[in-house]
Amino acid sequence: MAFELREGVFVLDDVRNVSIRIGKVIEEEEEWEEAGPTPMPGIMELRKWDHKLLERYEPFYAPVQDFCNLCTMGPCDLSANKRGACGIDLKTAKARLVTIACCIGAAAHTAHARHLLDHLIEEFGEDTPIDLGPDVNVEAPNIRTIVGVKPKTLGDLRVALEWAEREIVKVLHATHIGNEESLVDYESKAMHVSMCDHVGMEVADIAQIVAYNLPKAEPDTPLVDTGFGVVDRSKPVIVVVGHNVMYARPIADYLEEHGLIDQFEIAGLCCTSHDMTRYNAKAKIFGPISYQLRVIRAGLPDIIVSDEQCIRADLLEACKAMGIPLIATSDAAVRGLPDVNEWDVDKIADALATGKLAGVFLTDPVKIGEVAVRVARAVFEKKKKGELFFESEEEFKNEIAKCTQCMNCVFTCPHNLRIDQGMAHAQKTGDVSKLAKLEEQCIACMKCEQVCPKNIRIINVIMRSNLNNLYAKTGKTRVGRGPVQDTEIRKVGQPIVFGQIPGVIAAVGCVNFPDEMGDLRIILEEFLKRRYIVVTSGCHAMDLGMIKDEEGQTLYEKYPGNFDAGGLVNMGSCVANSHIAGACIKIANIFAMRPLRGNYAEIADYILNRVGAVGFSWGPYSHKAASIATGFNRLGVPVVVGPHGMKYRRAYIGKPWNPEKWWVYDIKTRQKMNIEPAPDALLLAVETKEEAIVQLARLCLRPNDTSMGRQIKLTHYLELSQKYMGTLPDDWPIYVRSEADLPLKMKEELLHILESEHGWKIDWSKKKILEGPIRPYDAGFNPTLVEEVYEKYTKGK
Amino acid sequence: MATERVKKEEKYPVARRYQVADVQVSREAQAVKPEVIVRLVKKAKHPVLITGGQLLKDEKLVEYAVKFHEKGIPIIATGGSSKPLIEKGVKPQSAVFTLHQITQYMLDPDWKGFDDKGAYDVVLYLGFLPYYLSRMLSALKHFSKITTISLDEFYHPHARFSFTNLTANKEMHYRMLEEVINGL
Ligand code: SF4
Ligand code: SF4
Ligand code: SF4
Repeated sequence: MAFELREGVFVLDDVRNVSIRIGKVIEEEEEWEEAGPTPMPGIMELRKWDHKLLERYEPFYAPVQDFCNLCTMGPCDLSANKRGACGIDLKTAKARLVTIACCIGAAAHTAHARHLLDHLIEEFGEDTPIDLGPDVNVEAPNIRTIVGVKPKTLGDLRVALEWAEREIVKVLHATHIGNEESLVDYESKAMHVSMCDHVGMEVADIAQIVAYNLPKAEPDTPLVDTGFGVVDRSKPVIVVVGHNVMYARPIADYLEEHGLIDQFEIAGLCCTSHDMTRYNAKAKIFGPISYQLRVIRAGLPDIIVSDEQCIRADLLEACKAMGIPLIATSDAAVRGLPDVNEWDVDKIADALATGKLAGVFLTDPVKIGEVAVRVARAVFEKKKKGELFFESEEEFKNEIAKCTQCMNCVFTCPHNLRIDQGMAHAQKTGDVSKLAKLEEQCIACMKCEQVCPKNIRIINVIMRSNLNNLYAKTGKTRVGRGPVQDTEIRKVGQPIVFGQIPGVIAAVGCVNFPDEMGDLRIILEEFLKRRYIVVTSGCHAMDLGMIKDEEGQTLYEKYPGNFDAGGLVNMGSCVANSHIAGACIKIANIFAMRPLRGNYAEIADYILNRVGAVGFSWGPYSHKAASIATGFNRLGVPVVVGPHGMKYRRAYIGKPWNPEKWWVYDIKTRQKMNIEPAPDALLLAVETKEEAIVQLARLCLRPNDTSMGRQIKLTHYLELSQKYMGTLPDDWPIYVRSEADLPLKMKEELLHILESEHGWKIDWSKKKILEGPIRPYDAGFNPTLVEEVYEKYTKGK
Repeated sequence: MATERVKKEEKYPVARRYQVADVQVSREAQAVKPEVIVRLVKKAKHPVLITGGQLLKDEKLVEYAVKFHEKGIPIIATGGSSKPLIEKGVKPQSAVFTLHQITQYMLDPDWKGFDDKGAYDVVLYLGFLPYYLSRMLSALKHFSKITTISLDEFYHPHARFSFTNLTANKEMHYRMLEEVINGL
């Protein structure tokens, strides 16, 4: 008798009181690749790799507070690296704090993935195939490499997610008082949990691409309106805010099904807006978190639907003040609201539209769609459509007149913006241009208003002062495309690894910029013009959609969306960051044929030594940004952050002046050899855009660059340093292995400098370097830091 | 030393922190008069001035940095500040490294400095975003013996010594810089 195993409970007819329960049936897994050494790694499996990295890229700590008050034995004064009552010293306490931040970040994406996946499996079935389009065969490079499985269906993603959840809990446990005593081991755990983050993100984005039919690695996605001025105020406006599109999607569906999509405006704040536009390109993007109070205080929304992460914790208060009803949809942020899931739609819509309830907690997708639309229409119809931010010019001027220049606001503003001077100038001359200028830098955090003794609505004053420009900043974002195609990787893999494409700059993260948003464009355009590949996601991606040049074009309108030299690729929301890590992994796999399955250290080592990709976060603030960056670091990708990134307290910075730190095993010559310090940092905060540009170019250098590649990379580095630092960089000779590495146009001049200032020996008849470099150039150079990889490729060969 | 701190009766503004919330400080910087800074620098074995990116926004700061250089104080330029300095004939010890990297190097007692003359003992700071500099000062306060002196317009609680808060009085800030330079 054939007996087929299925999940479920079975009663055997003739055997009374006996039933057999069959849990998950483990099918024999397809042998898709030779299994590597670390499938489903725990804390210990990749520790050796982390210690290698941390030995080179030493952790750096910049405490924000000198004390610890995490438990009741404290508070403890840890200054000057003293130990607390539990025995922990200041550096280790900071390493623990960063690990906690990375746990929060990883948990955010992973819980997001869990919400989505459970919901999507219920709605679409666990057998829904993972199909990311004809050009993507390596569907889940992070999951393949880290977890060691090859998911074929939505249901298969559960294995990866369960692994990530388990590891996050283990690392969180390690942050409990009285656990780890080594800061390096805390950093290793931060890296571990941040690697889980990349798996969580990949699960979330693959699941939503597949289930919601979001763009599948298409370079030519539509352009959508982005910025403060996107909505037509003669229509009801539905605003979605947060990071999980699962809850907002039914609104678009409802509008489409009822033929209403053109009669309403649906616009988003933060990553939900990216995913809304990926789902339906009629949706629009208002902007990042710093636009939340801009949009709300302007009274633009007729209803707000919030989900999770990076939403203001005073959202309900802000909405109430403007008479905007709120639907909270995620259990991560219930906001004290009544749970109305059991109510019928009429009752909920009535409570919100009449103002009986300021907000509700509602998760039922079908109800959300209908309620949001009905309430938006009702609110829109009653709404007075007056001026924005102040009812009249007079009210605006009176508000400015109240300022006494006490400067309380200045010393609480994260940017020390000179609100006092703007107010004084406006009081004296009636000219609000100095206040208007502040708008570019203001993140609308509201800290200033709370310390103003005159209760001035400072944000409203600043926004109103720059209202015309704020409207005019509206531009176009190319809709997030999801993963990079295997075919694209086939084309660019070699030029990236050899260095002819000088680098991949990945601009991701939040909006805590040091200066005007426009700097982001200046920085990235420098690299686009030089034919680097620029990829972007999240808030950086939407900011680029509102920064225009004199011709009124955003970068998306000027540069193509393919993953190739000179392309600007919007991957999508935060969770689409996994495709950036994925692209690096795919280079190792598709171009270099390195196996992925459970083979993390080899792949990360490959990327560190060969793939000139650098992450860039100009305004990071969130915990998610911390875990995304740390996850990239473990994968061998350096990250440059803007000056606020310093407040993460920890960086990974190598010491290029110490030759002992810079070595690899060369598989070709079978030697341990000294190399140039490329890259010399894994996590670094810069102060200015000039510094960001030069460091990004600098950190694209890799030991494996060919002569041609090194020459191209050095050309950009030297040119950019001359342009922005006014001089050749201090350290350029360290990267020269032979005369062929030197930028062609400057070759003679540079040879002279090497001879006269650095004592190198030059054969001038052949223009050849005879003596000086750390190592000679060898076309077959095959570097690795990992003993096991060295053995694998040398044993018996 | 206490007698040399700035005092209210001398019409110096109060030492108001650049950020009200940066209060978790075990030992606050002494807000000092220019003459104290002059003495500290004169006594130093290996002093250096580090300039930051705000020199790109305030030409006066460039002028003062040039004057420090003329008085024999070596300069490490960060944040792109090398560009205007080089245009005015200054040759900084380093131009491409960030303050973040330099601080990491300074924390290592084995580092010989950009000039190979050994560890810097007194470090002056001019022209930084306050929150960026603050974290670096904190790292050096906890993990090194280096004497840090902020010459910026904001009072820096994590420095060893700092100008008082001069945000409301830029002219006084320039005068105080002038006084330090003249004293050297
Ligand atoms: S965790 Fe340790 S250092 Fe922190 S308060 Fe408790 S005893 Fe003190
Ligand atoms: S709302 Fe704007 S001006 Fe006010 S403190 Fe925040 S960033 Fe500064
Ligand atoms: S806190 Fe208020 S009164 Fe004081 S300077 Fe700022 S805006 Fe003016």
